[in-house]
Amino acid sequence: MSEVQQQEQGSDKKHQKVRAKKSSTHIDMTPMVDLAFLLLTFFMLTTTFSKPKTMEINMPIKDAPKEEQQKVAASQTMSVLLTENDRIIWYMGVDDPTQPPQTNIADFSLLSNNSFHKVLLDKNQKVFGEVQQLKLQAEKEGWPKDTVKARIARAKADKKGLIVLIKTDDKARYKNLVDILDEMSVCSVGRYAIVDITPSELELIKNTNQ
Amino acid sequence: MTPMVDLAFLLVTFFMLTTKFRPDEPVIVDTPSSVSEIRLPDIDIMTITVDNEGRVFFNIDGKGTRETALLKMGERYNVQFTTDDVKRFSVLSSFGMPVQELKSWLPMDQESRKDINYKGIPVDSTNNQLSDWINFSRHANPKFRIAIKGDQDANVPVIKRVIAILQDNKVNKFNLITNLEQEAEPAKQ
Repeated sequence: MSEVQQQEQGSDKKHQKVRAKKSSTHIDMTPMVDLAFLLLTFFMLTTTFSKPKTMEINMPIKDAPKEEQQKVAASQTMSVLLTENDRIIWYMGVDDPTQPPQTNIADFSLLSNNSFHKVLLDKNQKVFGEVQQLKLQAEKEGWPKDTVKARIARAKADKKGLIVLIKTDDKARYKNLVDILDEMSVCSVGRYAIVDITPSELELIKNTNQ
Repeated sequence: MTPMVDLAFLLVTFFMLTTKFRPDEPVIVDTPSSVSEIRLPDIDIMTITVDNEGRVFFNIDGKGTRETALLKMGERYNVQFTTDDVKRFSVLSSFGMPVQELKSWLPMDQESRKDINYKGIPVDSTNNQLSDWINFSRHANPKFRIAIKGDQDANVPVIKRVIAILQDNKVNKFNLITNLEQEAEPAKQ
């Protein structure tokens, strides 16, 4: 039918050719889309959004005068000894070679009877309660972040709060140290320090191990 | 199909732009977890890595800072670094060997670097190169924050030694790199 028309109307020939070209502008996009999705999957799988977190530590200044460093009340001090096999040995008071203290064994679990977490919460009840209350209050009244931080810091610096001395022997793992430091922040212990272990305490560990 | 392709390309662009490839680390370190949620800043970070065998690795960022620190170390330990060495060093990341061996390590290609048995940076008191690295880097860039990235199974004495060196350099405030704790804390109440 069309051929007949073409032959009849020669002037329409050009118009017909343009129409035929129009259909060829469509390209097959499938390979490109395949590639796009391949790249998409690759980048989605390789991207890691979680950045490492850090824990801030302030060490006491080494050159500080001796008298200032040793103003620690023995009654509110807890010594924590970290040793091999993820064990914690703790006692109240500071190291005194003449009077070996009563030592206790604890572990890092949260719920067992020997949980160090429970011990720490118990010993630091007052400050922990205060901090918890502050947090609740802050949430209710919508305090600015800085205020909350400052108030918590003040509560933690309580002069009557628990002081923890962290000591490790040579067999402890780094994980233990971090766990203990973590426990300090969870239990709102404001005053703690990493201290060198003494020979008498090494002896204590030995005796407790038996 | 066009809207879908548009979306796909949008996502590709997004991921391409946000992806930051992890720099090649000489050792894999499995950091312990904690509940701390403080983020590590992106720039001006000095990382001291301690792996499970107690080897110490060191990393600082900033091209210029790396160049200055390396030249200063070369001067201190009588190791001549060529401009080529310095250029290579400025774009690398963590390293862990005495500065004397750094010279032969720098011209290597990535593949042969993987096979190297790293000794770690000497930290003992007679040959305390870590202290010098810290010192020179902090001179080059006083804004450095110091982060210790220790392996879970690293020995505490090594970590303590590193901390002692930091304290000798009057650094009393630093960060420990940890992972975010996965499980929730049930006993928080």
